[in-house]
Amino acid sequence: MDYVAPQTVEEAWRALEAEDARCLAGGQSLVAMMNLGLVAPSRLVSLRRIASLRGVATEDDGSLRIGAMTTHAELAALDTAECGPAVLAQAARVVAYPAVRAFGTIGGSVAHADPAADYPVALVAADAVIEVASATGTHRIAARDFFHGLFETALKPGEIVTAIVVPRGPKSGRAIYEKLSLVAGDFAIISVAAVVAETATIAIGSCGPKPLLACGLPLEPGALREAAAKLAAASDPPSDHRGSAAYRRKVLPELVCRAVRAATS
Amino acid sequence: MSNKLAIELNVNGEPHDVLATAATPLLDALRTGLGLTGSKRGCNHGVCGACTVLLDGKLARSCLTLAVDVGERPVTTIEGISQNGTLSPVQRALLDAGAIQCGFCTPGFVMALTELFAREPAPDREQIRAALSGNLCRCSGYVKIIEAAERLAAAHAGEHQ
Amino acid sequence: MTIGVSPPRLEAGDKATGRARYIDDIRLPGMLHAALVTSPHAHAKILGYRLDAARAIPGVKAIVTGEDLKGPRSGGIIKDESMIARQRVRYVGEILAAVAAVDGETARRAAEAIEITYEPLPSVLSIDAALASDAPLLHEEQANYIKTVPSGGHDNVVFESSVEEGDVERAFRECDVVVEGIWDTQAQHHLYLETNGCVADVNTAGRITLFATCQSVHHIQQRIAEELGEPMAKIRVVATRVGGGFGGKHASNIHSIAAWLARQARRPVKLTLSRMQDFEIQRSRHPARIWLKTGARRDGTILARDAKIILDGGAYTDESPAVLAFALLMVRGPYRIANARARGQVVYTNKLRAGSFRGFGNPQASFAAESQLDELAAKLDLDPVELRLKNAMRPGDTAFGGEVVRSCVLTECLTRVREAQRRAAPLPPRPDRKRGLGYAVMSHVSGLMGTAANVQLRTDGSIALATGCVDLGQGSDTVMVQICADALAVPIERVSYAPQDTDSSPYNWKTAGSRSTYMTGRAVAVATVEMRDKMLEHASEMLECAVSDLELRPGGAIGIKGVPKAIGFKEIAMRSLYQAGGPIAASHGFVFDGPGFDPKRASIHRLAFANLGVYTFGAHCVEVDVDEATGAVEVRRAWCAHDAGRAINPVSCEGQIQGGFVQGMGYALTEAMHWDDQGWLTSVTLADYKIPGVLDTPPEINAIVLEDPDPSHPVGAKGIGEPSLVGAAPAIANAICNATGARVRQLPMIPERVLDAIEWR
Repeated sequence: MDYVAPQTVEEAWRALEAEDARCLAGGQSLVAMMNLGLVAPSRLVSLRRIASLRGVATEDDGSLRIGAMTTHAELAALDTAECGPAVLAQAARVVAYPAVRAFGTIGGSVAHADPAADYPVALVAADAVIEVASATGTHRIAARDFFHGLFETALKPGEIVTAIVVPRGPKSGRAIYEKLSLVAGDFAIISVAAVVAETATIAIGSCGPKPLLACGLPLEPGALREAAAKLAAASDPPSDHRGSAAYRRKVLPELVCRAVRAATS
Repeated sequence: MSNKLAIELNVNGEPHDVLATAATPLLDALRTGLGLTGSKRGCNHGVCGACTVLLDGKLARSCLTLAVDVGERPVTTIEGISQNGTLSPVQRALLDAGAIQCGFCTPGFVMALTELFAREPAPDREQIRAALSGNLCRCSGYVKIIEAAERLAAAHAGEHQ
Repeated sequence: MTIGVSPPRLEAGDKATGRARYIDDIRLPGMLHAALVTSPHAHAKILGYRLDAARAIPGVKAIVTGEDLKGPRSGGIIKDESMIARQRVRYVGEILAAVAAVDGETARRAAEAIEITYEPLPSVLSIDAALASDAPLLHEEQANYIKTVPSGGHDNVVFESSVEEGDVERAFRECDVVVEGIWDTQAQHHLYLETNGCVADVNTAGRITLFATCQSVHHIQQRIAEELGEPMAKIRVVATRVGGGFGGKHASNIHSIAAWLARQARRPVKLTLSRMQDFEIQRSRHPARIWLKTGARRDGTILARDAKIILDGGAYTDESPAVLAFALLMVRGPYRIANARARGQVVYTNKLRAGSFRGFGNPQASFAAESQLDELAAKLDLDPVELRLKNAMRPGDTAFGGEVVRSCVLTECLTRVREAQRRAAPLPPRPDRKRGLGYAVMSHVSGLMGTAANVQLRTDGSIALATGCVDLGQGSDTVMVQICADALAVPIERVSYAPQDTDSSPYNWKTAGSRSTYMTGRAVAVATVEMRDKMLEHASEMLECAVSDLELRPGGAIGIKGVPKAIGFKEIAMRSLYQAGGPIAASHGFVFDGPGFDPKRASIHRLAFANLGVYTFGAHCVEVDVDEATGAVEVRRAWCAHDAGRAINPVSCEGQIQGGFVQGMGYALTEAMHWDDQGWLTSVTLADYKIPGVLDTPPEINAIVLEDPDPSHPVGAKGIGEPSLVGAAPAIANAICNATGARVRQLPMIPERVLDAIEWR
């Protein structure tokens, strides 16, 4: 296994041309998998020194452009009134543990696409956009199209996530991210990201290979519960030792109603 | 055959050279390469916190940090906490509160509390619990660890009156 | 006085600075690293091994497989194991081969290059499958195994035993109210933060020295001697600092393998388990199925209790018969129930062996027994605390099995926690949560098996103390020193404590069974007093008076009562070494000598313990919040009252109570080992196996230490290590029921199970 630490994304693309090369962002997922013998890349391309991957800036339309190497801790500290970034910041606060948040990155988490992870759910609810770059150019993919399945994304070989762009969200909207887990810091049994304005946009995590999305849900509690129940019935959650598929479907409507209630209170 | 790289690390304020492969976690470089066995391996996949060090002043899981990726960023281990054999206030507090049982998790908790008190001299209970949320202990039930931290926080708060 | 105070632990400074040496910190010159080949099959015949590819790898220095073994089977109560799998494997993860090489990577590559061919056999993975009439047998040779206790084993039943008092059938007929139910408990893992490991070294004469994180140097020594076919004089075992044991490191799984490799390679060998391997190779708590029936009169007098307990013992016996014994003895509960019957079996299954784990059968039994007691209270329309108080044991009553219990503060423990909870400021209610209050009581023992202590007076009048009791982190090192120092009225700094080393430490069975403070502490106290008496003899000659005129002076001197004149310990030592008497030392050893079971009262069939006792009692009160929409349970506060007899180091007692309670919380709410239908353990990382962290644990776990001294111990001390784990799960289950009306009878009580119970109430 060899290791390279490019200073620019251009150098990174070239380094990624090697067979079975992988990007090393914060290492909080990749190194754990290496230690467990689950992956053994032939080359590690560290993104740590690439300045253009860092930093959080506001774009002209008010969206927040978050460099891929921004850590969970940096996002958790975001003090924002805009509901788009707010749902992301809330998710960042409950990822794993302090040491993991100090070094884990949003780019790494997004590219890893664990269905039980927190960011994908928040990004789908916020209708964020993933900026991806390769030697052939840069393009943006909606988060809602980016996560395909268990550890599967729209990323093609040679592409690197360079930034995540989060729209402000509806004016005077409120956002919340909540997760139910067996113990604190664990992956979610089920998680809910809600962006609420006149209607609710809901994304659900750990209920399938990728986040579930429902837009334009009514806020009236009875109608919301009915809509959430339909969402539950149509979902395909996993059964694991944290809970069965039936359990996840059963609790989904209540958690959606609670999230919307919390967002609007 | 894995090729070994010569890596320079700044550990506890001193430069060190260590041989490691690209896949070698910092934990191994410290324990085997440098003989600094105070950081412990409890799980090797980033959950238990027994391997906690400070990297660039931030809490880091040394089992999830590749030695080769550390670069010039300073590393502080448990061996760098006490000065000339004198226990730091965090170490003293844990000892006095009876918060140390088997001791295997203790270095990790010392690092986590050291980082907390460095940025927050008088943390409240919520802040203490949040700072320690990534360190597992199987012996103590955490109660006396939290008590030790609260006593230290109270002592600091008292000093500033 | 050095008893009843809480000096910092002797070794706490080293632990706080990272200087304490645990097994993986040990490096010896020329040390090799071992890697293991473990079974991918739950049950299979081993057809053959191909080692040539592995042997050909440069740097490989030794390989061992089951083909190298010639001696008889080894093991504890039933000798059904061997150092390494022979002819058959019986669980996924069982060790088949081991390689020692110059570094870990080479050893792993060599292990991967070992080819083993198998003939898979049908396996049994559950109690029901094991007991089915056509079940494949795990141990066909069972009848020929050496058994230290008659087992009653047959087919896949390892062991059967029973305890009975009175006439349960008749008594049930007299009951006004009867409750009956079945409880299921899971395999829990000890999850000591430090995984198991050892380093074996061999000298030119072939003598083996083994460093180990273990719960008994003597037991490991005995097993290695047995498995290598060597006399114990050729084997030395030295304890390193132990990063937690909880019963998981009580026996030998890997030590003989490391010793064998070291002997073959003539170099030191380190064998440490990764976290995954530790899950797969070591041992778990026994999963259990408990059928329980309890009956009472309308006024709440409990007349009868009947229990059937089946323990899933995994592939090898380990301590199963002893765990069963405990479960049977404890399932009646600390109550005056005149008619009680407990019958039990341990079965073999093709899973990891189940063995000793803090509580040792009592957590399983008490989860059922204390849960059902609340169900009985509900049916009788009586307050659950009042029902317990009404039936609680009192001093002079007998424990199940007939042993008279002279000191019993059960009712005090229960009223203390009830009072403490009532006095506490109520926690404000939380939205979407139902609050519940639950109680449980427990009983455990502190005395069993054998131990000894040696004490010597040094030239300078300081004291050298040695026992075979390994400190697992519970604080026994410091407690032994406190007891010794107290008997001589010296500060603890004046007493040094030897590490546990079979070359020099007196015998101790194991650090287990909450026995260290009572058993080894008693040996220390008696030995120290014996030595003190010898010193008094010297002093009486030196001061020319009668021994009865003398008294100990604080700080290390003996003087004449009412007179300032005194002589220091140093002077006494010097006299003994240079003038008269010889070096002053004393030793005391004993095997547990309590009154024992009463065969006139109890009919005991094949109990794996000859004698145990020194009963302790405790009570828990727990407040929980339950989310009725998700089933999530949060423990908000707990009060745990336990009788320590005499708290030698009160802070250590509290630490044990709090730690045991939290380990019990994990057992109650989140921890479970899972096997798939091929017998593979699927929960093998800390990402899957969840123990409580800081944020899952209530900030308030009130440890209340009561002191009801035991007269058979010179300072009255009893054990404290296990009871607090025992009470957690039933107290939490009772609190969940109090909050929601839902009764959960399966562990762990994960949100889904609680929600199901709520829907079924």
